[in-house]
Amino acid sequence: MNELLNRNIKEVIAEYPALTAVLGKFNIGCVTCSAGNCLFRDIVTIHPLTPEQERALFTAVAQIIYPGRTVELPHLTRKTATRAGFAPPIRELVGEHAWIKRVITLLPAVNQTLAAGLDAAQKQRVSEIVDFIRNFADRFHHAKEEDLLFKYFDEKSELLATMHRDHETGRAHVRAVVAGVEQGDAAAVAEHLAAYGALLTEHIRKEDEILYPWMNAQLGDAQIGRLFADFRAVDERFGGAPARYQTWVEQMEASLNQQRSQS
Amino acid sequence: MNACGCPGSQAMDFRKKAEGAAAGAPAAVASELGQWPIQLHLINPMAPYFQNADVLLTADCVAYALGGFHGSYLKGKSIAIACPKLDEGQEAYVEKVKVWIDEAKINTLTVIIMQVPCCRGLLALAQEAAAQAKRKVPLKYVVVSLQGEILEENWL
Ligand SMILES: [Fe+2]
Ligand SMILES: [Fe+2]
Repeated sequence: MNELLNRNIKEVIAEYPALTAVLGKFNIGCVTCSAGNCLFRDIVTIHPLTPEQERALFTAVAQIIYPGRTVELPHLTRKTATRAGFAPPIRELVGEHAWIKRVITLLPAVNQTLAAGLDAAQKQRVSEIVDFIRNFADRFHHAKEEDLLFKYFDEKSELLATMHRDHETGRAHVRAVVAGVEQGDAAAVAEHLAAYGALLTEHIRKEDEILYPWMNAQLGDAQIGRLFADFRAVDERFGGAPARYQTWVEQMEASLNQQRSQS
Repeated sequence: MNACGCPGSQAMDFRKKAEGAAAGAPAAVASELGQWPIQLHLINPMAPYFQNADVLLTADCVAYALGGFHGSYLKGKSIAIACPKLDEGQEAYVEKVKVWIDEAKINTLTVIIMQVPCCRGLLALAQEAAAQAKRKVPLKYVVVSLQGEILEENWL
């Protein structure tokens, strides 16, 4: 069983598709992950399972992989989280996710308006969305993650590499949206906005539910304090811009709601 | 004494049975205290060991109740102790916590209190000082039971 734990999770799932349901029962959603190159061992350790849950998971896994055989179940060491809630800097990142998710929620309605093509007003709206994604979601929020939070952890680990890759894929979708606007290709704009929305929804879920709780438990008080101070420096660098983007989100929600009630 | 029903001064006996508690002489535990003085009236909030430090503000009774206090909480931190129920001149306490935050530029503040209701006063005092300070720092509180268990530990 130990050998299995050192294998790449996607490979193992491909070989034993029945594992999908078992992992899903324990809220381990690797099947839908865009990369999934993590080791089985890392995946189990990073999810907040109690020792009883971990045993139940391994028992179910063993029944699929070694049917009818008795295998010794491994016990993985995990750092138990003593903290009940997120530390302030992590809480801030979760709060920023909420703003990004509000914009993602609006994308289907925006895409509907694109079915009729790209007129000047729609180009304007899409370029405002691109501006929000590039400056709020990417420069402001992802900079706090990539330049500060992730630096406290092993960036070569597959888990963080996956997060970085998601950020990069998101950037590529945004570039494709901009190109679509320039070429007047409404279908390409809609396609890449939708893909960006799907990517970030899953990415944020992974961070909020798995990565951040794990990081929160690993960081010591001294690191939390330094991270908090570094985030204040980022806020200072961006000045009033994040607040202006938040106001823009509220206006955009209001304008799309109005449009919806008129049609 | 108990006529007022104050839970903070109600007598309780939770001595352990001899066989479980004293199995041979305990090994010496190294102190993690890195400074003197420690009482909040006596400390200078600008002392070098408070500069950029992770600071503990602990109710007087905590270190007696919490068995692993030195290793789990005091280690790597600077400290001041106070009693929100009995100490006088607590306005000076608020001022000192503000100096920690604004001038000594402490990194984090952890307030450890006992579960008795009057001990919440120490947390309230720290929160008041933090609200008045110009700088912001992560503020955590820990609530310890009379028998030394951690009942709550959370960031504010
Ligand atoms: Fe991210
Ligand atoms: Fe994020």
